[in-house]
Amino acid sequence: MNYLLHILVIICIYLVLGLSLNLIVGYTGLLSLSHAAFYGIGAYIGTLLMMNLGLGFLPSLALAVIGAMLLSLTISIPSLRLKGDYFMLATLGFQIIVFAVLYNWVGLTRGPFGIPGIPRPSLFGFQLRTVGHYLGFSVAVAAICLGLLFLITHSPFGRVLKAIREDEMAAAALGKDTPRLKVVAFSIAAGFAAVSGVLFATYMRYIDPTSFTLMESIFILSVIVIGGTGNVSGPIAGTILLIVLPEALRFLRIPDAIAANMRQVIYGLAIILIMRYRPQGLLGEYRFE
Amino acid sequence: MLPQLIANGLVMGCSYALVALGFALIYNTTRTFHFAHGGVYVLSAYLLYTFRNLWGIPLVPAAILTLLLIAFLGVAIDEVLYRPLVKRGSSQPIQMLSSLGLYIVIINLIAMFYGNETKMLSPGVQPTYTVGHIILARTQIVTAVTFVVLFVSLLFLLRKSRMGKTIRALRDDPELVSASGINARFFRWSVFALGSVLAGVAAILAGLDVGIDPNIGMTALLSGAVAVIIGGVGVFEGAALGGIALGLLQSLAIWQTSARWQDMVTFVVLIVFLLFRPQGLFGIRRRAEEMAG
Amino acid sequence: MTVLELNNLSKSFGGVRAVDRVSMGFRKGRITGLIGPNGAGKTTVFNLISGFLKPDEGKISYQDQTITGILPWKVARMGIGRLFQDIHLFPHMRVVDNILAAFQKQTGENPLLALFVRPKVTAEEKNHRGQTQELLRFVGLSDKANELAENLSHGQQKLLSIARLLAAEADVLLMDEPTAGVSPQMVDKILDLIKRLAENGRTVVFIEHNMNVVIEIADWVYFMDNGQVASFGSPDDVLGDPEVRKAYIGV
Repeated sequence: MNYLLHILVIICIYLVLGLSLNLIVGYTGLLSLSHAAFYGIGAYIGTLLMMNLGLGFLPSLALAVIGAMLLSLTISIPSLRLKGDYFMLATLGFQIIVFAVLYNWVGLTRGPFGIPGIPRPSLFGFQLRTVGHYLGFSVAVAAICLGLLFLITHSPFGRVLKAIREDEMAAAALGKDTPRLKVVAFSIAAGFAAVSGVLFATYMRYIDPTSFTLMESIFILSVIVIGGTGNVSGPIAGTILLIVLPEALRFLRIPDAIAANMRQVIYGLAIILIMRYRPQGLLGEYRFE
Repeated sequence: MLPQLIANGLVMGCSYALVALGFALIYNTTRTFHFAHGGVYVLSAYLLYTFRNLWGIPLVPAAILTLLLIAFLGVAIDEVLYRPLVKRGSSQPIQMLSSLGLYIVIINLIAMFYGNETKMLSPGVQPTYTVGHIILARTQIVTAVTFVVLFVSLLFLLRKSRMGKTIRALRDDPELVSASGINARFFRWSVFALGSVLAGVAAILAGLDVGIDPNIGMTALLSGAVAVIIGGVGVFEGAALGGIALGLLQSLAIWQTSARWQDMVTFVVLIVFLLFRPQGLFGIRRRAEEMAG
Repeated sequence: MTVLELNNLSKSFGGVRAVDRVSMGFRKGRITGLIGPNGAGKTTVFNLISGFLKPDEGKISYQDQTITGILPWKVARMGIGRLFQDIHLFPHMRVVDNILAAFQKQTGENPLLALFVRPKVTAEEKNHRGQTQELLRFVGLSDKANELAENLSHGQQKLLSIARLLAAEADVLLMDEPTAGVSPQMVDKILDLIKRLAENGRTVVFIEHNMNVVIEIADWVYFMDNGQVASFGSPDDVLGDPEVRKAYIGV
């Protein structure tokens, strides 16, 4: 039973990651490989504020979001004028820098030793103790985030992002401040990734840098590429499929040593096949054109 | 201390430069961001490991066999992965994501078969040579010599041969291939074969020097791609010099800080270049013109 | 009144002077034609005005402000709209959304305001939807409102891009071959539209290869050759100029 609840909590965390990355990839038309970096930044800022400064859950969450949004500017502003592959390379660089900092700044992050004993949140006097409690909490947080992202993508802001994705030059010729809009979209996505990070940290009660690697960024991107981008249903389908399916593989009794690699092989193949035969993904809209 | 670090940096730079040249050859002429180049790199190292360490084939024939297979693999990747996409006019992101997918498949298959731990290609202590205050291992010297020979031959090939002329023409105008009656298919084969062999050579040399694991490909690919950007996209000499500059810089950074920050140096350099000199050291600035179409 | 003025504008590409000391003036409510052989530098002049290219020399002024070398989106915000020869719609968006995206200063383009000042955003959106319906009627695309832009015919796409330009509140319209590749009925429709726009006080500059079109709607013509203004004046004068006929029409 707890195992099922655990899967559901993980799905909530990845729904927020996938749908926020969708804002960059599916709406603005930029490939980003730095989402795990913002996920990690959120997890670490939230954790350090709670554990080192004794801040409460909500203020820590808020500051983690703001921190991730501000840090996103250090990569989005320099990469603004870059297109396609260059932009992706820059985000990839940012991902690697963030991982190096989390791993090597031992004085602050304890590096490879990780941070154990992260407190479970207590909200308005109610202490989340069991996995069941935590699931309720994650569902609520994910629902709020998904609602906000839905409103954002269906607003004039979402529409102008789509216009940039379709034809940035035409959008500029219509008087849209495309550089600023891209920076804003990027920082919103980073902020939501930070929410996932704080959720993850307080759920696992332990973090170390290996949860926030380049491979993790690639995984989050795979989730939405396979599920599809440019609408809400694509990333949801991708998240559920890519979290649930590997769990099903467990029952095939594949040795643990190769199960992880085998999963990755399946993701890799899935990306190749999707790009070849159905570039909009399972339920997405944007065809990377 | 300093001369030794410079020497180490130069050798490391030669290795990056080989990967960068292979990457640039493919990128400049096909505009494909060839992520799978990293997979080709890792696979070369593991093929050599299989032939030499597992099957006992001597180094030189094992290396030749590896490079032949890798050239073939490069061509196969183009035929199976990219060509159908190019034929359909698929966008650059689609090609890039497919390439990333293939990279993931390759390195995880390798990890499944060989495991994740580091393997030594040449166990035991390497012979070293001392020049003044500098000590170099034999593989380091071979790396430097190989780079110089390959770089000079490549430049010669680019300047003199018909293929080289096509490559340079294509770099200036990628639309040309279909228009000018060049046998596009054969041409792409040559580019992918040659580019992959360059990565293979780098992988074998680096593997002999420091050992291999499934993740060496990403580091190599990224160093290569960053080297191309430092040197300037479209400039083959730039890719080589960019690789050497990157190797030197990383080596000097180790001197100032520690080896743990090596990756970070690569990407700080990348971001500085993207910000202040996106055309690279030797590239030509033509951003505005490109934007206007 | 001269709204937009180019002064000694030059731009070279790799040693070739694409635009060579060009000076032009465009007056409010008037339709000006830019003609000349391919490669004469007409589109480059448009790119210089709309900020996609920076001139090497010279000055561009709009309503007595210097706008030389400022960013494209800022030029557009000041009211200089651009119709691209290759149209540049948002192909995977619906026709209505193509137009809705074009309105200026939308409160809802700020995501914070879009989330937290919803009544204002909703009201504005309702108003824009109304205007969009009007614009679609104006260009005759009302029945296509919910189609994806990529599914329109070439002529309809041109009409949509004009409607989009109008939603962006452009006062100066730079139109690069507005009638190229369009059926004859559609040409009449577009020319009629351009005339009505000028009557409403908009300044129209258009690049055109069809001389009949130039004679029909242009009030003033600049003939460009080799990056320079070779001749200008009323359409009859310029097209009657033997030099122009020789260089351009080959008669």
